[in-house]
Amino acid sequence: MTRYAMVIDQRRCIGCHSCTVACRTWNDLPLDIIYNPVVTEGAQGKWPHVHRTYTPTLCMHCANPECVPCCPTGASQQDDDGVVWVDSKKCMACKVCVNACPYGMRDTSVLGPRLHRFVRKCTFCKDRRAEEPGSMPYCVQTCHQKARIFGDLDDPNSEVSKLVNSLHTERLFTEHGTEPQVYYIPDLGGQR
Amino acid sequence: MKHHYWEAPIVIYLFLGGLGGGIMCLTAIMSLIVNPGTGSLFFVPMFFALAALAIGCFFLVFELGQPLVFWRVWTTATAIIKWGATLLVIAMFGDIFWLLGYLDVLPLDWGFLGAIASVFGGGTPVFATIAGIAGFGIMVYTGVMLSTLKAHSFWATPALPVLFTISALSTACAAIALSLGIFAEPTVALLAATEEIHEIIHVVDIILVCAEVTVLLIMILSFLGAGNVTQKAVARRWVVGKTAPLFWLGMIVCGLVLPFFLYVFGADSAASTVVAPVLVLCGGLLLRYLCVYSDERAEIPGENRYYNRTADPHAEFVEHWTYGENMY
Repeated sequence: MTRYAMVIDQRRCIGCHSCTVACRTWNDLPLDIIYNPVVTEGAQGKWPHVHRTYTPTLCMHCANPECVPCCPTGASQQDDDGVVWVDSKKCMACKVCVNACPYGMRDTSVLGPRLHRFVRKCTFCKDRRAEEPGSMPYCVQTCHQKARIFGDLDDPNSEVSKLVNSLHTERLFTEHGTEPQVYYIPDLGGQR
Repeated sequence: MKHHYWEAPIVIYLFLGGLGGGIMCLTAIMSLIVNPGTGSLFFVPMFFALAALAIGCFFLVFELGQPLVFWRVWTTATAIIKWGATLLVIAMFGDIFWLLGYLDVLPLDWGFLGAIASVFGGGTPVFATIAGIAGFGIMVYTGVMLSTLKAHSFWATPALPVLFTISALSTACAAIALSLGIFAEPTVALLAATEEIHEIIHVVDIILVCAEVTVLLIMILSFLGAGNVTQKAVARRWVVGKTAPLFWLGMIVCGLVLPFFLYVFGADSAASTVVAPVLVLCGGLLLRYLCVYSDERAEIPGENRYYNRTADPHAEFVEHWTYGENMY
């Protein structure tokens, strides 16, 4: 069974924000919505031993998402392949799911029509992959550093599966029990 | 922290929901168990409860991104806010039918009021029971709803529903104290019952104010001493930070301690019968305000710096860009 996941190699990320711009372009996002911010930690350390860490973020498409069962309209849903998405035709923007997400990866735009707001979030480019089977999410395709790797975690031959099973990876806020499906290969402070 | 997702309308909704639910619950207990046959004394409090829930629902719907399709809240079975919405509807209908049963209390010389009251009057104990149970559910629900959102560690504590329930009962006592017996027939029996209920409500509110200040201080100080990073940050803001004046002066002193002393030492003065209940109501609203705006999440390292640098959605250039003036 397919289980989509993403590996983010922080050793490769240079914080160029290309993925953020690509996502914004593909999804035609309003200016107050960002699906995949690249946040920067640091600089840390003491000269000349300094480093900074870039953490590209996005919806974690959790295996046990907080945002799906709390949705009163059924707009927030999860496909069999693990992708969590919002059906804008069902959403009434009560923002319970927005508050339930431990990663802050959902939001509504206040720039649209007042009576037609809905919750927006990353879908691993569900629409793009449906249009062109085999294609990657636009942030993955755009990353020239190949820091974002996307694929089927249940396929032992996929790159994500090999990386998750062979390298030390970390996930954000696992204490919530949400089983996030975005894995980070940590920067380790510049040690390669 | 990106921004507050829920704002003032939700604060008002949580306050009015708790207040309305509390009045219905206390009315059911008082008029059915403690002092049977005194339902007419609670006509105005129950009307206030209905108004509070109706206004609260208005603000809840107003806060939705798509208010015109609010009925979608009943689409799924699992969501907790569906249960809240259901309780609100049950409580409001129970309250409306209860009020119809006491329409003859109104000092109006309209014959149809008595006719309506005679139709619904026999069912008032049932309607009071339904409204009381649903009202209790609403009181508890307002805190439970926030505490299920475990992304916000200040909310995700069992103390919050307890605090909200105590506060809801306390504000309900205050509202009942302010409005009990209005329009009731000035018979000796009802005047005596009014006095008796006033005394009971008075004592109950003293106990509730003590309980509320105890739970509130235990919750905040334990967060400050032994909470996680997010809880400590919020508790520090409450105790010594930006919201400390609102917490200490507004919430603790004016909302709890001062009403306590006015209740205890005010005898039957206006300070005890009017000022103290009004202060308790203001304290209840302030509690919801402080809690709803304490919605910090654990930070992804660097997240706050990132969002602090993004533009305000209402900044002039963002609006110009969005609405076409600079769009390519």
